Amino acid sequence: MAKATHSGAALADGLVLDIHDLSIQFGGLKAVEALSFHVKEQEIFGLIGPNGAGKTTAFNCITQFYHPDRGQVVFRARDGRVLDLVGLPVHDIIRLGLVRTFQNVEVIKELTLIDNVLIGAHTDFKATILEQALRLPRARREEREMRAKAVRALEFMGIAHLKDAPAGGQPYGVLKKVEMARTLMAQPKLIILDEPAAGLNDSETAELAETIRRMRDEYRCTILLVEHDMRLVMNICDRICAISFGQFLACGTPGEIQGNKLVQEAYLGEEEPE
Amino acid sequence: MDKITVQGQTPPSNSNPAARAFRNPYIRYILFGVVIALLPLLAKSGVMPSSFLVNLGGVLIYSIVALGLNLLLGYSGLISLGTAGFMGLGAYISGYLSGTVGLPFLLTVLIAIAAAAVIGVLVGFVSLRVAGIYLAIATLCVSEILRKTFEELDQFTGGFSGLTAGYPTLFGFKLSREATFVLLTAALVLVMMLTHNLVNGQMGRALHAMRGSEVAAQAMGVYLLKYRLIVFAIASAYAALGGALYMHFIKFSYPAVWILTLSLNILAVVVIGGLRSIYGTVIGALIVFAVPDLLLKRIPVIGGIDGIAYIFTGVLIILVVMFYPSGVVGIGHDIKRLISRGRKGGAGNG
Amino acid sequence: MSTFLQVFLRSLETGGVYALAALGIIIIFRTSNITHFAQGSMGMFNTFVVATLVANAKLPLWLATLCGLCTAIVLGCLVDFVIIRRAKKVSPVAKQIITLGLIMVFVGLAPMIFGVDPLKLPRFIESGDLDIFGAHLTYNGLFNMVLGVALMLILFYVLQKTKMGIAIRTTASNEPVARLMGVPTRNVTLFAWALAACLGCLSGVMIAPTTSVTPNVMDPVQVNALIACVLGGFQTFYGPVLGAYIIAVGTNLLSFYVDSTWGGQLMYLLVLVFIVFRPQGLVGKKFIKKV
Repeated sequence: MAKATHSGAALADGLVLDIHDLSIQFGGLKAVEALSFHVKEQEIFGLIGPNGAGKTTAFNCITQFYHPDRGQVVFRARDGRVLDLVGLPVHDIIRLGLVRTFQNVEVIKELTLIDNVLIGAHTDFKATILEQALRLPRARREEREMRAKAVRALEFMGIAHLKDAPAGGQPYGVLKKVEMARTLMAQPKLIILDEPAAGLNDSETAELAETIRRMRDEYRCTILLVEHDMRLVMNICDRICAISFGQFLACGTPGEIQGNKLVQEAYLGEEEPE
Repeated sequence: MDKITVQGQTPPSNSNPAARAFRNPYIRYILFGVVIALLPLLAKSGVMPSSFLVNLGGVLIYSIVALGLNLLLGYSGLISLGTAGFMGLGAYISGYLSGTVGLPFLLTVLIAIAAAAVIGVLVGFVSLRVAGIYLAIATLCVSEILRKTFEELDQFTGGFSGLTAGYPTLFGFKLSREATFVLLTAALVLVMMLTHNLVNGQMGRALHAMRGSEVAAQAMGVYLLKYRLIVFAIASAYAALGGALYMHFIKFSYPAVWILTLSLNILAVVVIGGLRSIYGTVIGALIVFAVPDLLLKRIPVIGGIDGIAYIFTGVLIILVVMFYPSGVVGIGHDIKRLISRGRKGGAGNG
Repeated sequence: MSTFLQVFLRSLETGGVYALAALGIIIIFRTSNITHFAQGSMGMFNTFVVATLVANAKLPLWLATLCGLCTAIVLGCLVDFVIIRRAKKVSPVAKQIITLGLIMVFVGLAPMIFGVDPLKLPRFIESGDLDIFGAHLTYNGLFNMVLGVALMLILFYVLQKTKMGIAIRTTASNEPVARLMGVPTRNVTLFAWALAACLGCLSGVMIAPTTSVTPNVMDPVQVNALIACVLGGFQTFYGPVLGAYIIAVGTNLLSFYVDSTWGGQLMYLLVLVFIVFRPQGLVGKKFIKKV
């Protein structure tokens, strides 16, 4: 049975994330209203919705960049603990095994690819600043181990040959892979990908779909995909949640979502404004 | 020794053991130190005027201080105009404790470093709230408060008439000017190595992340407050170390030394030498603190102009920021790139 | 009561000086997105022009000041034309560093052109005291106070009502959009730099008679003007003016009633604590971060 820790949170077996009654408003505007859905272990879950539907806000509420006004975000951490994330500091989220990418890739131009990937392991370093400054054995060992791990992550993404190249000047596609490799460093339980297909062409999107599946299978993690590209979502997601104007529309398999009247209306309303 | 990839350098594969040793960054720092430590010999043998030694010693001291500012400005993207204040703090604490109180030199240096680090942490707290445009002004405020303190606490600082000190006494030996110069070199090499380790490890990456995007850094688990405090503490500690060494090498300290102009000069060192470059910082210190005195003032006509050093530094800052943001150290890389491009025959990839 | 009034009136005089300098800083900040650290140094340079004309060419002060304003305009335009305009692409921190470099250039140029000897600058009105409920105020002090307030009123009128003022405010709120809407943003920044230089020169001419004209004459004005901007917030034009008067009054009252040597530092400390709790300044909105 699920263990309860932080504010009495509980999570059914087989689930990794349970969002309940999530609500946030900005100056009277209800960006997300009473949103509830759950994500099962090792599934690829899609969160979709037309422009301005509140997808990004919803996931900022999950990662605690925004603290929601109401609701719970119950998460099964990588060490098996079950806790409600609401109210935790942003920088404490990743060490639980919840890691994200960014819509407009956030990599450090001046660092090499491998150093960028190593940032993802930030919270797993145990050596103190003093140990690092003096390069004491523990700091050296950790650095060596993490570097090896980062090389594996880069190999997984197929860009290990570029590991010592500076990130500045690399093509967009490579930077996206760096971001994804970085998530793999955090011993992820749940990876949230924020519009990973944005700016990719068809063949790159197909490759991305394959990569996401491999990430799930080889790193045994769950993927929450916040995406605009319907083909990608329909292609790889096990289940999808659709929202519009901050509110829940439907949740189900890609087939069910495609056939759902509410979802069709929401999207039609966007594409054909007459 | 584990392999550390030093940024911007791709060592050629070479199995020659000497070449391999030279590629080890620590051996290079030590070699660099040995070369500098030999300079007093040059002065003794008369190849170099011995007055140069004072200037070059100053360069070493300012290099230490500027490495601290480079951690702030270069790696973390935080601007500080309080450097002079912290340097003065180190100078007065070390000078007073070793002179009037009679504590051993090394202990006074440690106390100076600790005191500056504590105040640095306080500034770090402020920095978290007032990032960006306000931070420079807030640090300027702190520096002003410190400077006023130096003027007014005259029972400790000697007020406007200043405080004097002698060359340091180390383990019972009173050091000469030359020996103090070697001590400065050792301190600089040590600080360079520490800085190298810090910026190439977990902390360095965290600072990079913080500079790149605070939001992304937090999402990667970087606790902004912690690293802001640490980096301000380290920068202040370096400044205080530099100040303490200044006190015992230049041998006097007036409140009028620790003013905004000095902070600006240190800033110039970092910007001109190269943000995020350890050797660049030393080159920058040489350009800002030695070139005006040792070269410019010797050039006829131009050298006689008052204020030429300021104009030189000021114009260089502006030119570097506008046209060469990677600093003087970037020129070396660019020349290398030009040569390798030239070797390829320049066919096609112009 | 009369001493309090006297302290207060004096503060209004220095406050006006800080406010003029701060207005220069804020106009630059709003139009060019640069924290203008060289406002004081440029003011110092032009004050040297005025002082030299008075001392060597024996010009009357008002004529020398007019000449100083002319060089200020030329200098302001030059800085914008030669440097700022070409530095559009550099980061905000790098732009700050450019103005820090400018400080050094002007501090170096001043002794090169005007010599190393400090100069004396006369007051506009050499003598005469005013008695207000027992508090003394020199006619010159009154003149400075009135001049400061009058200049600010004119400036706010210009900003609110004239075409140039609207152009400045549009550029301030969103430069790219203003440019697209046909606002001549280049002229606006040019005007802003000239105006800021004039304000710096005037604050220099007002403060210089209390000491002598040296390269450091404007340091306290620069520091206090910057702190006034922080206190008042960088988002409005009147915030820094408010901040300037608060700092002047606060410093003088603290110096007089609490401690004569530490009053100024105490004020700085209070401002530091204040911005820790209200980083956006007295008047200004908080930004909401976006991902």
